[in-house]
Amino acid sequence: MPKLIIDDREIEVATGTKVIEAAAQLGISIPRFCYHPALGSVGACRVCAVKVLEGPAKGIQMSCMLEAVDGMQVSTADREAVEFRRYVIEWLMMNHPHDCPVCDEGGHCLLQDMTVSGGHGLRRFPGKKRTYPDQDLGPLVQHEMNRCIHCYRCARFYQQFCGYRDLGVLGIGNRTYFGRTAGGRLESPFSGNLSDICPTGVFTDKPSRFIGRRWDYQRTPTVCIHCSLGCHAVTSVRYRQVARQEARMSAAVNGWFLCDRGRYGFFYASRADRPRQAAIKGETAGMEEALAHARSRLEALAPAAVAVIGSPRSSTEVLALTERAARLRGWRGPAFFADVGAALKVKAAVSRLEAGLAVSLGEIDQADFILIVGADPINEAPMLALALRQAAQKGAGVWVVDPRPVSLPFEFAHIPTAPKALGAVLGRLLRKSIEPAGLDGPAARFHASLPGDPASGPELPARAAELLAASRRPIIVCGTGIVAAEWVELAADAALLLRAAQKKAGLFYVLAEANAFAAGLLTQLDSTTDRVLKAAAEGDIQALVLVENDPFATFPDRRLLEQALARIELLIVLDYLDTPASRRAHVFLPTQTLYESGGIFINQEGRVQYSAAAFAGGTPVRETGGRDHPPRVYGSGLPGAAPQPAGQLVARLAGEEIPIDIRAQREYFSEQASRLAGLPDTERLPPDGLRLALRNISAERFKSMLPPVPAAESDDIEIILTERTFGTEELSTYSACLETLEDETFAGVSRQDAEALGIRDGDRIAIRTENGAVELAARVCDNMAAGAMMIPRLRRLPWQTLGKSIRRRDIRKA
Amino acid sequence: MLPKEIKDRLEGEIKHVEHPRELAVDVMFAIQDHYGYLSDEALAEAASMLGMTPLELDELATFYTFTFREPVGKYVIHVCDSVVCWMNGYEPVRDYLCRKLGIALGETTPDGLFTLLPVCCIGYCDRSPAMLVNRRVHGELTPEKIDAIVEKCRHKAGKEVARY
Repeated sequence: MPKLIIDDREIEVATGTKVIEAAAQLGISIPRFCYHPALGSVGACRVCAVKVLEGPAKGIQMSCMLEAVDGMQVSTADREAVEFRRYVIEWLMMNHPHDCPVCDEGGHCLLQDMTVSGGHGLRRFPGKKRTYPDQDLGPLVQHEMNRCIHCYRCARFYQQFCGYRDLGVLGIGNRTYFGRTAGGRLESPFSGNLSDICPTGVFTDKPSRFIGRRWDYQRTPTVCIHCSLGCHAVTSVRYRQVARQEARMSAAVNGWFLCDRGRYGFFYASRADRPRQAAIKGETAGMEEALAHARSRLEALAPAAVAVIGSPRSSTEVLALTERAARLRGWRGPAFFADVGAALKVKAAVSRLEAGLAVSLGEIDQADFILIVGADPINEAPMLALALRQAAQKGAGVWVVDPRPVSLPFEFAHIPTAPKALGAVLGRLLRKSIEPAGLDGPAARFHASLPGDPASGPELPARAAELLAASRRPIIVCGTGIVAAEWVELAADAALLLRAAQKKAGLFYVLAEANAFAAGLLTQLDSTTDRVLKAAAEGDIQALVLVENDPFATFPDRRLLEQALARIELLIVLDYLDTPASRRAHVFLPTQTLYESGGIFINQEGRVQYSAAAFAGGTPVRETGGRDHPPRVYGSGLPGAAPQPAGQLVARLAGEEIPIDIRAQREYFSEQASRLAGLPDTERLPPDGLRLALRNISAERFKSMLPPVPAAESDDIEIILTERTFGTEELSTYSACLETLEDETFAGVSRQDAEALGIRDGDRIAIRTENGAVELAARVCDNMAAGAMMIPRLRRLPWQTLGKSIRRRDIRKA
Repeated sequence: MLPKEIKDRLEGEIKHVEHPRELAVDVMFAIQDHYGYLSDEALAEAASMLGMTPLELDELATFYTFTFREPVGKYVIHVCDSVVCWMNGYEPVRDYLCRKLGIALGETTPDGLFTLLPVCCIGYCDRSPAMLVNRRVHGELTPEKIDAIVEKCRHKAGKEVARY
């Protein structure tokens, strides 16, 4: 560990640390443009110059390129170094348009900071400034090339870090241009990060353009809830409008970046059509009046005739209080998952994540072999794809076993495998790559139970087994969307077996929604949405309470839903969204979003994270004032601030009076799930959250059974409902700026099935179902398993009418 | 669409190398020799042959001096503006060319004969100021010499027109 002196202060740093980072550890911020911790050093901008007084190369050196070595003495304040940096700033500013007053970056602009701190104030160059045309880069990123200082951060991030190939560096010398060959929307689902990493205003956040300066915003550390990863963000609110989100650095989770779904998924919170008033039969009512009405109607019913449905998009507080309310009153539920299969999968993942096995998103790039079973990272959890790419860049082999045409922004191997055969493929791979010698007890018995006969089904190429055998830090990534609960268990045993074979193996589950982990902890397997709706359709349930759940968007059987809603007497909806369900409610109670109430979310690796309240709620001033000055009316209280935390409302529905302080509600956690007991107060949660003390229950280990791949019992085509990066995650579908990024509706068909059915790519096909015909464009895929049809859960596609499988004769060209 | 003959030849060459993108410059020149410049359509087609995205090929095309992304005149004049030429009279040479051709740097004469572009160092410093006409070098330039070169080009082009 080298010890060096920077500005007369000594510091010891890890071998390989660059001087710029060593200085940062001392709290000395050396100017930088091209250097970024995530992108590394290139030494292009020359603004991080320091003077080396003692060391291998004395004199002016670039601190981002210079490795700290023992005995080095560095000065950042030396006159020569200061002067050098001043000249660099001056020539970087030569062509800059000085348009800070109309530039959105102004106020948090690195170029402004460096110019001021570099002491450059007077322009000496009298020549013409070079100018560029700008491009329309789509709905998320605003382009203004004249402000560019050519640091190359954008192109390095876009191409090298993310692996997308439609934005780069054009031209040469003074004509160097950062953009695309022609204008058009950026293809990368990580493009919003350009606004964060650009040190000046070339790439700025388009949806929040001209809304405010950094100091105008209420800025709050929050957690993203648009998939199960729980990435860290900073939310900016101005005049009661949630305006902008940026990435918040978290070494354990998302690193420096965010995906575009997470960054721009917040618009539901400030939409003009957000319901902010309670309503009885569609008529606006006071909150207390509506609550009393709902309560009296519920009390008139037998408790068993009332059912509660919640959802994994709610905070842990809401889930826990919903569960408590149902239990206290003897109501049925709460159901958090659509069916037993979905609940089982999440329960399996929750119970099988062991302390030694679970890896965080931030640890993925350390893997040297990654096997992905039944997960589609770029669509289900985009930031996982970015983490996988970093591992692949460092040489890890990435193998995907999935029926869908998975695409990732790096080179990987994909074995299209039918959902039923996923486990067998994994089993065979383990059997082949792990030597039974050296295993003992349950691990040896588990190994022996794995299928070994290569003729008995699909298999990964021999190369995969070789690489896994040679790997030291393999990771199994297992989805829970299209896989069966058995495979979720098998993935855990696979990781355990690799551990038993002396590998530092890790396990990473992808769950379906932001708080699925907490919902999995709290759910009962006998109450799922389908059971509740069936009982309602049969007349056993008279009242439904929907807590932050829109079954029209999430439940896969529309017919059952309609039957149930037609039969019940009372529908109470608690939500912050304007949904089909809330419009049909007999009693509607508006709830607060995460930005108003704050709340705990538990991500897919069991990390408990608190997202703080970003503001007190209320209708944005933009609306109360009709885009002008707000009305000059005096009064106490905020307009549009009727919504309350859903947990509080559901508790009051059940007849409890709940303390307003949400922190006190945490006492209820331990009642519901012992693993939630003893969570510290939110103030004491570390910045990177706290991973739940995961149990190590040896009794559950190596119990997964590998059922033989069933011979196709029918010739039907299985429907695989699948996520897309944009357009399927419920909350982000309320963001207008993401609408144009949604996929066209389509049905994915394998080449083999397409040929048998006489369908060509792009053909319109008609699918006959019990609920009528559905017409769609066919997308014929070469890298897709036969016997399945991929249907994205897009709003514009009636996927809830398709059922679980389709007979071949019901598919024909339209 | 590229003529089949050219496309077949290029695809044959691409097949023989390990990394197709190493032939990027050759492919761009082959297309440019045929069309005179690289249109957006040609760029996209070439990129797909090379397994690159149009942007990736465009990064190369716009980097190099001798690949053109816009139509150019029959004679492309690259006048050198590097340090030695500048010391030895680049500016009057450039101004004389602009006056004589009636165009500014980066422009093409209305008759489509000449395009005038700056270039930074062509390695002819010992006989500076210098310029290239369709990649043929001319050094120790004077107004008289430039007149002769330009007239020769005009004469040659005129003869070709007469022939057709």
